[in-house]
Amino acid sequence: MAYPFPSDEWLQVLVEVLNSDERYAEVAENWEGDMTVVIEPDDGSERQDLPVAVYLDLWHGKCRSARFIDLEKEELPDAAFTLRARIDHIQKLFTGQLDPIQAMMTRRLRVQGNMGYMLRNVPTVLDFVRCCQKVPIKE
Amino acid sequence: MSKSQFHTLTIDLSTGSNSVGIINNDVMQKYLGGSGLGAYLLYPELSPDLDPLSPEAPLAFLTGPLTGTSGPAVARSVICGKSPATGIWAESNIGGFFGTELRKAGVDVLIVRGRSAAPVYLCIQGSQVELRSAAHLWGAADTYQTQVKIKEELGQPAARVACIGLAGEQQIPFALILCDHGRVAGRTGLGAVMGSKNLKAIAVRGRGSIHLDNPSKYAAIRARANRELKDDTVSVSMRDLGTSSSSDLFDYIGLMPKKYFSSGSLDGIDKVSGSEMAETILSGISACHGCVIACGRKVKLKDGIERKGPEYETTIGFGPNLGITDLSFITRMGEICDRYGMDTISLSNTIGLVFKLFEDGLITSKDFSGDEFRWGDHASVEKLVHQTVLREGLGEIIAKGARALGENFDSPNSAMEVKGLEVPYHEPRGASGVGLVYATSPRGACHNQGPYYLVELGQTIEAIGIDFFNRQAGAEKVKNIIRHQNWTSVINALVMCIFANLPPSDTRKLIQYATGYEYTLNDLLLLGERSWNLKRMINHRLSPAGIDDSLPECFKVPLAEGGAAGYVPLIDGMLLAYYEERGWDSIIGMPTTEKMQELGLDSLSEGLSLQ
Repeated sequence: MAYPFPSDEWLQVLVEVLNSDERYAEVAENWEGDMTVVIEPDDGSERQDLPVAVYLDLWHGKCRSARFIDLEKEELPDAAFTLRARIDHIQKLFTGQLDPIQAMMTRRLRVQGNMGYMLRNVPTVLDFVRCCQKVPIKE
Repeated sequence: MSKSQFHTLTIDLSTGSNSVGIINNDVMQKYLGGSGLGAYLLYPELSPDLDPLSPEAPLAFLTGPLTGTSGPAVARSVICGKSPATGIWAESNIGGFFGTELRKAGVDVLIVRGRSAAPVYLCIQGSQVELRSAAHLWGAADTYQTQVKIKEELGQPAARVACIGLAGEQQIPFALILCDHGRVAGRTGLGAVMGSKNLKAIAVRGRGSIHLDNPSKYAAIRARANRELKDDTVSVSMRDLGTSSSSDLFDYIGLMPKKYFSSGSLDGIDKVSGSEMAETILSGISACHGCVIACGRKVKLKDGIERKGPEYETTIGFGPNLGITDLSFITRMGEICDRYGMDTISLSNTIGLVFKLFEDGLITSKDFSGDEFRWGDHASVEKLVHQTVLREGLGEIIAKGARALGENFDSPNSAMEVKGLEVPYHEPRGASGVGLVYATSPRGACHNQGPYYLVELGQTIEAIGIDFFNRQAGAEKVKNIIRHQNWTSVINALVMCIFANLPPSDTRKLIQYATGYEYTLNDLLLLGERSWNLKRMINHRLSPAGIDDSLPECFKVPLAEGGAAGYVPLIDGMLLAYYEERGWDSIIGMPTTEKMQELGLDSLSEGLSLQ
């Protein structure tokens, strides 16, 4: 079953995947860092629901909580990492059409936070993306 | 002054005379500057009989049309000639402030010939050019001391000094040229060429302005490009963590060699990275003139003295390459090499070969006063560094480079070199494109012609058709690699830093507003291709027995563990496709007559033949 992106259903399934994936639990065992992903409209988009942000509290191989943030009513949380990308690029990332390192190298995915921590934990970052790719997205 | 003119200053050290000149517009438009222009200017003089350490050997210092303009990462200049390490084309670019100061002094290209009867240093202060005795510095002052003393003597604290150390004076074939806070032209041994000319240093002080064709439009693009560059992911990670920022990533995907390329893993490897440096010894950062990236590191060790921190190549070369994971030790080795003026890549590579041959039993302790050369042994590394510059003990053989050392111990295939230049620290078994770049770079094993490892990580440039391929793909990505080499040749003409990830359209506009020349992106790619082919023609001329594009045997054997485990680049097939795609003949890789005509190089083809 595929889920609309971004949507509550999609986020709920992603949390279930992150909390049940044995490989992620192992690879991300030492990860301590919450994250906000800001999903921006693509060029020429008329989508009224964007931009929108998703907050994920990732801690030692589990997702302790996750929620959408209404950017009109709420400030972005002071998360360890803030990622920003256009929705079309995130969809490509989450469907395996865009390599996550390539996305960062080409500014499609912009990262704020401790680059040293992120680069020290490349396997965790890549495995997080793998888990995201396990949640089918509705075209 | 015509807007597109480049000014040359030529010094004859044998006579002490100098002359000035102008490069004509046609040549500028075809080559722009940097190493491409250097290849054009030096081509007539680079013959197979020319001893690179003879008075006749030319040594050219070239800037680019953007150098010193406060554009995005355009502080660099390049030094060109014939390499004493390889016998073929030599180029090595250098950051800091030296290139900027040259242009402010009205010198876009400096060509040095001849040999002084006694050690001298060259002073350029505006239109005033003089040679001063360096007898008191020769054998007495390291590269940092030399800068300080010359500035004091000139009464010019703001002068910029490019100089050699003891290694250059000793004409060690991997001697470098250093300026400022440890910015170096490290590769191909051009410090030895300076040494052979009894030229200790070049000091420059300029107060002029740098001509721009359209200053207001240039400033607008420059400002925007610098803003974007500052926020680029690579820039941010370089600024936060230095050029070793990607060490962890390189290790994970198999791009980082260990134990002289013989192992895919090393205990404690997480202690060798830009992140580790930032969390332990980092005390500050440094930048070249006007650069928003600021990749340079300052560190403090236990003695509390702030010094240059090692960049990626030094970190891996004196680190995992030798089984070492101690950043403080690596920092000290980098500093010693800088002070002596030795290229850390070539030296650490050659010491790595010593360790490998010792492990294989081809070098024994009884041959060298009981010394042992085991992975991770700090003391033996430090001893060999000093012995090399003094040409003592095993250092006498190390000072000839890895190829000579391998041959000396009857193990020539163990040396990690291409065309005589030692391989840097990007593992082609982790990314095949890196292998093809090593094989075809005009100066031998080089990771920056072009820096295709960045593309292998995902730094695509769609605007000029440079896409992302599987890191272990073969011939199918050859065309992509060629486009990247051609584009890098444009970057080298400018001379822009390879870490500046700019949209090509911005680069094109910067060129236009700086020079008045209007190019399309295809025009620029053609210019880059011309430069690449000209260097290939030079190498054919300098290699009567033929150019050897093969990689070290080691890369044909897969590693058992690590990110590159089980893979070898299929370089033979890639090379065949490369020759065909380049328009070179399929046997020796010579540009065909048609290709030379297409690039406007046919008039330079005299003396070259498809033999």
